[in-house]
Amino acid sequence: MIYTTNPPAADPQSRLRPGRYGIAIVIAAVVVLALVASSILNYVYLDSIPSRASLYGLLAVALITLGTYILVRAFNRDRAIRRKQLIRASVLIGLGVLLWLLLIDVFVFTQSAGPAVAATCALACLPTTAFGLFVVRRMDRNHKEPWRLVLVAAAWGAIVATSLVVWGETIWESSAQHNLVPGPGLDASLAFMAGILEELAKGLAVVLLYLVMRNEFDDIVDGIVYGAAVGLGFNFLESVSYMTNLYSIFSAENYGAVAAGLQWYGRQVLGLFFGHATYTAFIGAGLGLARQLPGRRQKVLSIAGGFLIAIAGHFSWDAWATFFPIQNTLFGLVEIHLRTLIMTGPFTAALIALLLSGINYEGHNMLEQMRKEAASGSGAILAQEVPVLASPMRRLRQRLQAFERMGFAGYLKVSRLQTAQLDLAMERWHRERQETDTPFEAEDQLRRRVLELRHWIATG
Amino acid sequence: MSVVTYDQLRVLYRTLLVLATVGVVILAVGLVEFVYFEPPGQTSGAQAHIDGVFQYSPTSGAVSGPDRSEFGRTEQFAARVDWASIPAGLTVDARWYDSFGAVEGEVGPGSPTDLGGQPLVPVTVPQGFHYVLPGRYSFVVERLSNGVPVEVLGRRFVVVDRS
Repeated sequence: MIYTTNPPAADPQSRLRPGRYGIAIVIAAVVVLALVASSILNYVYLDSIPSRASLYGLLAVALITLGTYILVRAFNRDRAIRRKQLIRASVLIGLGVLLWLLLIDVFVFTQSAGPAVAATCALACLPTTAFGLFVVRRMDRNHKEPWRLVLVAAAWGAIVATSLVVWGETIWESSAQHNLVPGPGLDASLAFMAGILEELAKGLAVVLLYLVMRNEFDDIVDGIVYGAAVGLGFNFLESVSYMTNLYSIFSAENYGAVAAGLQWYGRQVLGLFFGHATYTAFIGAGLGLARQLPGRRQKVLSIAGGFLIAIAGHFSWDAWATFFPIQNTLFGLVEIHLRTLIMTGPFTAALIALLLSGINYEGHNMLEQMRKEAASGSGAILAQEVPVLASPMRRLRQRLQAFERMGFAGYLKVSRLQTAQLDLAMERWHRERQETDTPFEAEDQLRRRVLELRHWIATG
Repeated sequence: MSVVTYDQLRVLYRTLLVLATVGVVILAVGLVEFVYFEPPGQTSGAQAHIDGVFQYSPTSGAVSGPDRSEFGRTEQFAARVDWASIPAGLTVDARWYDSFGAVEGEVGPGSPTDLGGQPLVPVTVPQGFHYVLPGRYSFVVERLSNGVPVEVLGRRFVVVDRS
């Protein structure tokens, strides 16, 4: 059993399935049950076309869940079967996503605005969301997260998190509208609803990544990256939903395109990094810090703290944005920007401060580990390579030089070598801090991989 | 682990806790706001009788047809309130809210006796638009205390179709 992993486990005390996997399985089971219950209740009680989509969408959710499980498992298998597992996972996730989008488009958005408008809105949001994901991933200057996990996080935000909140928000909203006095009290109640339910639904994705993909969840920076990716995914689907809805409301007055366009600008340009991305990134920050904190109490406080800030940030926007009314004049355009800057800006600024501090902390420690590795004489990292590896710009320059010499293949080879060297430094860091449950052989395996890659480049 | 490194982690941790404390304050302010506008124990026992929501003609100022809960977007409508069903000593108003939460028509505030001459509360067409916007409208008859609505005495929901 030990030899089915890559790298193989050597420490007899080390278990391939640590206790946190059990927590992850329980959370995943609760999520699936909640989705099933939500969809059935929607279908029975709401009896509307969107709620039917929710029920039919269960198949898509099941496919994505199964695909994600296989995907995650694939990276604990040896290379021989990894490829097969990856293909299987990709097909299932792809089918699930397509099925889901089809359902959403056909039953929900096309119902209000027609398929052409729904497709246009989705297409308009795709490049901006992709840009957001690109930027968010690049924020981790020292050790970038794999695209597969960043995309899984975004897909969770777009598909699973949005489905999870449907029923909870329907009950809460309906109950509030039937019992509360319209006005600030009702607004506050609905803001609590959005803050609590949406941040919990989005945060679950980051929690699962934290529990299951520990090797790719190194510190606060990684947490921020994953959290922001989940937020961007959520923001994508919410943008499409709001745009099509507003189009359908205002189209009869010939303002449909303007309303949808303004919504696109507000959510996909102005609020791309300010809204959901910022809130959920705080959840990731809390989890990322917990990854490295020594005590259980500190870990719990850190995770709870991340969720609290996310919920509070989301709440403050939903509850108090109406205190900054936007005039129907040209100055209204300025006011829209000011409102976002004043209300969400402080949260984003605080997050950036955490991020920069985290990058600095991570960079400092990786540099130290690279120096130690170079001093060990293993040959995996050479002393003259340390300053290059420590600087993203110099790493890029080195890759470009390889591109000039050997073309794209050379660029890729050097890129892989750099990644493997950074992986090694990261692994050393975690081992030194005693915060890894992978066996010592994992580090040696990484070292051998670096040497292999170096050999390929030398012979290439 | 070096002391410097641990200190950096501790700074990050403490910063997060400070931010979390700010988050708690924000949520507490939200709770206070909720309690202020939705004070507990504000049940007068009074109920407003809403005769119904009917098609409305702005030119004649009269309603016609049966009580309905769904209208086409080219139709205008108004709620008819039986102000006599509310105890005289209360301060009340009646409002229409659209699906964005904006007030789209109101009568009051005043005592039910003062408002007795205005049984019809029509939805107004937003400025610059030809018809009311589609969506879910809620009509409420509210009791006010110190100028703040504190209790809903009667409520109706109406859907305006997109077509």
